[in-house]
Amino acid sequence: MEGSVVVIGGGIAGIQTSLDLTELGFKVYLVEKTPSIGGRMSQLDKTFPTNDCSLCILAPKMVEVFRNPNIELMTYHEVKKVEGESGNFKVTVLKKPRYIDESKCKGCGDCSAKCPKIEVPNVFDMSLGKRKSVYIPFPQAVPPIYLIDPELCLKLTKGVCGVCEKVCEVKAIDYEQKAQDIELNVGAVVVATGFEMPTEELTSRWGYRFKNVVSALEYERIMCASGPFGGHIVRLSDETEPEKIAFIQCAGSRDLHENVPYCSSVCCMYTAKEAIITKEHSENSKCFVFRHDIRAYGKNFYEFTQRAQEEYGVKYFQTKISMVDEDPETNDLIIHYEDLKTGKFEDFRANLVVLASPLVPSKGTRELADILGIELDHYDFFKEKSYFNKSLSSKEGIFLCGFCQGPMDIPETVSDASGVASQVANLLKDVKFTEVKDKVFEIPEKIVNPTDEPRVGVLICWCGINIGKYVDVPAVRDYIKTLPNVVHCEDNLYSCSSDSQARIKEMIAEHNLNRFIVASCTPRTHESLFQETCQEAGLNKYLFEMVNIRDQCSWVHMTEKEAATEKSMDLLRMAIAKSRLLKPQTEEKIGVTPTALVIGGGISGMTAASNLGNQGFKTYIIEKEKILGGNLNNLNILYPIQQEASIFLNEIKAEVENNNNIQVFLESKINDIRGYIGNYDVIIEDSMKEIHNLKIGTIIVATGGQELKPEGLFQYKKGNQNVITQLELEQKLQNSDSSWLNDVKRVTFILCAGARLKEGITYCSNICCGTSIKNIGILKELNPNLEIVVLYRDFQMAKKEFEEYYRNRRKDAMFLRYDLENLPKIKKSGKKYGIKVFDTNLQDDIQLETDLIVLATPMIPADNLKELAMMLKVPLDRTGFFLEAHVKLRPLDFATDGIFLCGCAQWPKNIQDSISQANGAAGRASRFLSAGEITTSGLVAEVYTEKCIGCGKCKDVCPYNAIELMDIEKEFEELTITVKKSSINSALCKGCGTCAATCPVGAIMVKHYDFDQINAMIDSYILEKVKNSS
Amino acid sequence: MNVITESEENEKVGKEEDDINFYLEKIYEPDLRKLLSRCYQCVRCSGVCQLSKVQEFTPSRIVELILEGFEDKVTESGVLWDCLSCNSCMQNCPEDINFADVVRNAKYKMKALYNHKADDYIAHKGIYTTISEILSKPYINPDKHLDWIPKECDISDNGDLLYFVGCVPYFKFEFDEIDPIPISALKIICQVEKEPVVVLKDEVCCGHDLYWGTANFEAFINLAKKNKALFEKANVSTIITSCAEGYRTFKVEYPKLFEDFNEKFEVKHIIEYIYDNWKQGKIEFTNPKETETQVPFTYHDPCRLSRFLPKDNNIIEKTREILRQLKDLGYEFKEMTHNKENALCCGVSSWMNCNDRSKGLRYKRLSEAKEVGEIMVTSCPKCIMHLSCLQKDYDELASIQIKEFSEFLVDLIKVVNTNKTGDVKE
Repeated sequence: MEGSVVVIGGGIAGIQTSLDLTELGFKVYLVEKTPSIGGRMSQLDKTFPTNDCSLCILAPKMVEVFRNPNIELMTYHEVKKVEGESGNFKVTVLKKPRYIDESKCKGCGDCSAKCPKIEVPNVFDMSLGKRKSVYIPFPQAVPPIYLIDPELCLKLTKGVCGVCEKVCEVKAIDYEQKAQDIELNVGAVVVATGFEMPTEELTSRWGYRFKNVVSALEYERIMCASGPFGGHIVRLSDETEPEKIAFIQCAGSRDLHENVPYCSSVCCMYTAKEAIITKEHSENSKCFVFRHDIRAYGKNFYEFTQRAQEEYGVKYFQTKISMVDEDPETNDLIIHYEDLKTGKFEDFRANLVVLASPLVPSKGTRELADILGIELDHYDFFKEKSYFNKSLSSKEGIFLCGFCQGPMDIPETVSDASGVASQVANLLKDVKFTEVKDKVFEIPEKIVNPTDEPRVGVLICWCGINIGKYVDVPAVRDYIKTLPNVVHCEDNLYSCSSDSQARIKEMIAEHNLNRFIVASCTPRTHESLFQETCQEAGLNKYLFEMVNIRDQCSWVHMTEKEAATEKSMDLLRMAIAKSRLLKPQTEEKIGVTPTALVIGGGISGMTAASNLGNQGFKTYIIEKEKILGGNLNNLNILYPIQQEASIFLNEIKAEVENNNNIQVFLESKINDIRGYIGNYDVIIEDSMKEIHNLKIGTIIVATGGQELKPEGLFQYKKGNQNVITQLELEQKLQNSDSSWLNDVKRVTFILCAGARLKEGITYCSNICCGTSIKNIGILKELNPNLEIVVLYRDFQMAKKEFEEYYRNRRKDAMFLRYDLENLPKIKKSGKKYGIKVFDTNLQDDIQLETDLIVLATPMIPADNLKELAMMLKVPLDRTGFFLEAHVKLRPLDFATDGIFLCGCAQWPKNIQDSISQANGAAGRASRFLSAGEITTSGLVAEVYTEKCIGCGKCKDVCPYNAIELMDIEKEFEELTITVKKSSINSALCKGCGTCAATCPVGAIMVKHYDFDQINAMIDSYILEKVKNSS
Repeated sequence: MNVITESEENEKVGKEEDDINFYLEKIYEPDLRKLLSRCYQCVRCSGVCQLSKVQEFTPSRIVELILEGFEDKVTESGVLWDCLSCNSCMQNCPEDINFADVVRNAKYKMKALYNHKADDYIAHKGIYTTISEILSKPYINPDKHLDWIPKECDISDNGDLLYFVGCVPYFKFEFDEIDPIPISALKIICQVEKEPVVVLKDEVCCGHDLYWGTANFEAFINLAKKNKALFEKANVSTIITSCAEGYRTFKVEYPKLFEDFNEKFEVKHIIEYIYDNWKQGKIEFTNPKETETQVPFTYHDPCRLSRFLPKDNNIIEKTREILRQLKDLGYEFKEMTHNKENALCCGVSSWMNCNDRSKGLRYKRLSEAKEVGEIMVTSCPKCIMHLSCLQKDYDELASIQIKEFSEFLVDLIKVVNTNKTGDVKE
């Protein structure tokens, strides 16, 4: 069995799985067919709901991959052959020639700047922008290595030119480079090949052939500040700013004629985002969204679409599109559409049309399926082994991750990726940590006392001409040499090259340096490299400082060499001032108890627990009820696979009960939780009132949700036995005796009962539409003569199987659409109920009588979460569900390390998603359990206890709950009082410095960024400026 | 924007420097021994020092060291930064040696000689003294909003009587308990006065905390000059303030800089203003609510209104006279164990040294108050802030209501025989 994994695809799914896998103890080969990792997420302009720059939140993860010693990054590689079986795969990977020696290229860009070849469309910019034939796909590409396009390069095609070879200082150009086969032996394969948006394949009615009709992904590039138009929104025919922009949703998806029967599931949200950002770019623009249903089912999604309309004035039309035509004179577009609110056909003129066209599996998916020997489903996504575990492919040892298995948004993908990692860890648990390496330093660290005279060494990088052309490096070097404490200063062409690392070590030894500074590019990508070099030379890594004279000097002051040079001198002088005060810091190791506590014994909790138990970790489940299973106990049939819930539940329960590593506390409660990551003390009181003291390493919150009982709404009240909720219907259906249906002639379902309101429960609860559709079918089977009426607002059926599931049951009921302004009115008359509703599809009032009313009410959080949240010191959101650390990229983590969440504790979701999240949370938690210890950073805040006045402001602002107030007895001559003192847990502290900035008496400082050091930098800057100006 | 050429600027700076030195000599004595020469080491000071109850601090030892020529040892150590400047020592000193003033001069010296930073000892990261420093700049002219002023108050930017609002508008963002102070005071004054009361939009800080706390004398001088010019421009002859610190500053410190300050302006604390009008029969004390119970209350003497005033100032007794008068209105005045000139300190001076020791002092003060009353009245915004702050930490002290003098009295004062009463009472 091999302790390594090959991950195919370097988008967010592949990135997250790879990072989690290394933390779980596996070596990862990350194979990406394009020249950079980042995938589709790196092409997006912003991400909702925070409207953060997409690449800005992704890039740190890309860099983390790049720096990770246990990830072998294989970009511009393709998987050619896979042999063997689970545990022992032999994977053949084709390394495509970049015609540039990866080990030599420093990413300086000199080659591309001088490449004479006329420019060609840049694929990264959806072919809207241009690139040279020697290029890097985008500036933040990882790895930052150039490549030559062999079909365009004059040297490679015609044997002339060769300019790049002449200008490349490090001799990295290699026209002779050949494709190469590489063989890897791995234990498992993860497929994360993502999706694409082939708008050109749509039928002609969508008008994509017209210049001013673009796909949504193209529009992302148009909006993006680093895109082909510098962030100016223009239409392509004349590059003018469009005034009226129409966004057309479901353009080709959910449509059997376009061969895309499913819902792509992310378009409703990115459309709302694109419209909002368009309005932010230009107030004069008018945005119109031509929607069908709104499928905004995730956390705060529906509210986001409402904000687009109410705050930003984006106009939504409920329509069906008949065709998009062009006015040839103005290149404006004419949209012919049916207004579903009036039933009339209308024309709409727009300057630019953005199509939310279908997302389909990436090109090459079928070929890859053949190579891997795994099956595809009938939409050409990779087929999952079982509906409820979508991470497993049809072949053991090969896992599916992200959009290649079915449509999902970024947070779902990230959860999925963590879940896949945990299941790989399950499979390969016996070979964890067999192939990963830990860095060992041979030279012992030399002791540097604060009183020792600082001996500073400085290395200034030219970065080819990247810095050297815009900053007078020799002048900077000569100036730096004159500064006090600078013992040695030199410059070189590429400070990051391996011979430079050797040189740095020589310098440190030769001059007995006790501080080292490199002035080059960004610490984001290179600081850890230089720190490691310093450590190899016996210098504590916190005695290293990095100055970014590339981004901050040569890049932003490209046209002003003098200013760029002066600024470089200033920045370096400041860094030297700081470096004099640097102190060596130690990184402590804190042990992790290899046990986990799962709070909640529903499907999420049980899944998470079995995952952890299977990985070999002692896991406790605590459940407040008498039995395991949570809401599953009340369900009848599970859609879309029509399995009986009790059978499924019993399988899972058996798995939990037969797992020796799992201990279940039923009818129990948590009395107290103390401690921090790796070291929690949890006190549990069981059903016998017996107290258990548990030592816990990590905690997973899986407290689930419950159905809202809508007292007073739509005649739901005591006495009205025939107005029931969806869950009550499930319980009736669980009963094999269906005689209660005999008296029922007509059933009416009311969807969104008490949900998606203007106030109160404003959200969409995600699961109610699916459940209702399922129950329509079941009722119809029980009594084929039953009449069923469904009052709905939008159908939220966004999983790949759901659209067809819904289509198949459409015939079983009559569907009337209502809107929030005209809620159905219900009157009791005898045993029956009279319903009056305005059907917006028909634009008419409808009156009907019904025997039974089923209310699809939203899911709300479990009871008493506030108490638990206080005990765990984690936040709840506005709606009362638990609030995750980051809605996009950390959906399963809390900001506090060591505590994770999954399932309906986070947001209403179906069983498939709950299981996926539960595996994900188990994966996130087991990273710490697997490692057995955590290394704290040296960069943490520290309290000067004597100065602290115990005001607690630091505790209030700490985003990581790393601060506690302790009671300390203080004795004075005449009295003794208890005073509070702040105490910072270095295992939880991230060194953000918020506390230090907040402390009113200056009793907190952040190591490595203390006030003296920062003041020294500011002083050094200002004093010099004052001196020069006087 | 005005463009000032460099030479003009330099010339201006040069002039200003001369000017500053002229004033600096009046308030800064570099030779500490001169100030201490009368000391004969009776050591009373070290016995009464309030700070010495919570940390090792012996004024007499310090004085002795300075007199014996080890001044540099004392100043370099920075120990003097800890002094509360409560003036309990001077109160008991047979030779009237003003130790607090020695500390103030020493602070200025320590900053210059040893690069000591007031910021290392100050609370709230020095934001409040920074505001004062900013206000001291000649080109800073604040334009405060006055919309907190009660509607019924008639105010003007020019006239005989000025109400000096002080720092409350700057502090209130963190300490909302002091909000009612200027409102109550103005309500009282405006009921009495026939003419509009002057409240300045461009009023600046009095400079007290720069003078006693951070020893930034230059900024203090600039503030004093600005204030004097503002008062003159508004044709003011009487200045009323609710602030103990502002009162002491105008009454004692400003005349050191400007010999004619006391002749030009009559400075009154709101207590004195109420007292005088009461004695002149313009106001009387009544309680609009019928009451049979007696609420016991007490009064905390701020150092600036007790030990810090010249011996002939009898504001302490005037305060008592008023407070005892309230017995008929349902409020029974009771003294704390330590009162008048012997009052305990509120624990913090000029934002300096908020720490455990200070908490101990504040704890003692509030424990005494709790023993005798339900309400503690005082007349210094800082005392209110510091003591209320402690109440948040200790439940056992939270029940004491802390009220400022005019806030306490505003509803118990009735104006007799003036034209305006009708308007106000409605």
